[in-house]
Amino acid sequence: MSGAETVRKYDPEFTKKVYQMDNGKWVKMCMQCGICPTTCTLRGIMDHSPRQIIQLIRAGDKEQVLQSNTIWMCTSCYTCSCRCPRGVPMMDIMHDLRHLAEEEGYITNQSHMAQVYYNDVAKRGRIWEGGLTLKYSLKLGVGNALKLAREMQDVGMEMFKHKRLPIFPPKGVKNPAKLRAVLQKAAALAKEEG
Amino acid sequence: MKYNYYPGCASEGTALANYHAFLAVAEKLGIELHEIEDWNCCGATVTSSVVGEFPAQVLAARNLALAQRQLDGHDIVTTCSSCYAILGLTNKKFADEEFKKKANEALKEDELEYNGNLNVRFLLDVLVNDVGVEKIKAAVEKPLNGLKVAGYVGCQSVKALRGHYDDPEYPQSLDKIISALGAEPVEFENSNKCCTGALALSAPDITISAVHPIIDGAAKAGADIIVTPCPLCQMNLDAYQQKANKQFQTSHNLPVLFITQLMALGFGLGRKEAGLDYCIVAPYQKLSNWA
Repeated sequence: MSGAETVRKYDPEFTKKVYQMDNGKWVKMCMQCGICPTTCTLRGIMDHSPRQIIQLIRAGDKEQVLQSNTIWMCTSCYTCSCRCPRGVPMMDIMHDLRHLAEEEGYITNQSHMAQVYYNDVAKRGRIWEGGLTLKYSLKLGVGNALKLAREMQDVGMEMFKHKRLPIFPPKGVKNPAKLRAVLQKAAALAKEEG
Repeated sequence: MKYNYYPGCASEGTALANYHAFLAVAEKLGIELHEIEDWNCCGATVTSSVVGEFPAQVLAARNLALAQRQLDGHDIVTTCSSCYAILGLTNKKFADEEFKKKANEALKEDELEYNGNLNVRFLLDVLVNDVGVEKIKAAVEKPLNGLKVAGYVGCQSVKALRGHYDDPEYPQSLDKIISALGAEPVEFENSNKCCTGALALSAPDITISAVHPIIDGAAKAGADIIVTPCPLCQMNLDAYQQKANKQFQTSHNLPVLFITQLMALGFGLGRKEAGLDYCIVAPYQKLSNWA
């Protein structure tokens, strides 16, 4: 053996953990027929197909699953679950895996976006789309933010010109503190169940 | 016809056109809308990745509980595909007594409770199945004769809650409305491909590559315009069209309207009521007979 890097680590605890998540039972249901990758919009740019992700979960290959771009490239279009002979809601499995990846510190542009989106929900109860773009750019760091601004300024300007990106946030819910209390209670209840 | 109305966050920004046009169209059709007071973001398909599935579902359920308290016994209608998918799927979860009990325990923190008895409906469902094609036809004052329209339904509104009101693979509702307005629906290649939805913000290159074949398909089928019911589809096909042109060396110039905007025009409402000024690809020339 030439070194540790050639040794693939498998973690049966990871498999168990995914099985226990909200949609874990569906991971067991997959029969590896391969219809999902053939219907997937973005299969071409995914490093693993949805079917492979399922098999990697079963194998306990935590690294490959959680660092894969597949879980973030899923557009939640629901096409594969429409055609799945067993009705596996693949996007819900992907959402579970995203949550796990976030908890384990795997960061992507999409997880940044999810975070600023959720922060807006928790703070105001509603999304302010204009501010969302801004806060997302800030998360990317100055260099990347400038690059994004340069590349997307034409789209941004058109949206702004056509009054589709309000400069000020629209009003949120009346009592965001209560909304947060609901979310906290829900999170606690979810944890209780394990 | 009386509904709880859930507009969703896009209706306060990127999809203002849809918000205004739907209100105008609803009035013409005698649809009474009660916007759910104090509604919150449904969480879209994003929130669960941050907080997990159950809290995300409770977030969505707060709106259902508000609707029940404010106007019980009336369906909830929403104009956004993603909101429809999230609210509809959450609503279904309330058939599970254990889920219901747990969700209500969390909702109690805001003095709310939901029994699961409301229906969540999508705009197209209400238009075709409650209002009906005949009534839409009767409301037309300026028939859109001669206008070729590519109806792009998008994914979530037909595929998340399969078979609720339309076929998930070959949806018909949108084309029925287009025909009722006197326009000609055209079949086009890639009409069932995803526009990549919210990836547009964090991975614009992917969205540009995804919208190109859809716009190209519509153009090759001879469409004058594209219509869609979905806020994200509308934004991606409209705002990213010039970028797609640049990348794929095409010169498409296809206005992208919400179906509610097209209805407003057919009903003889003006350019302002139809919210045409919100469109990025200028629609005035192609719609000059009606606007």
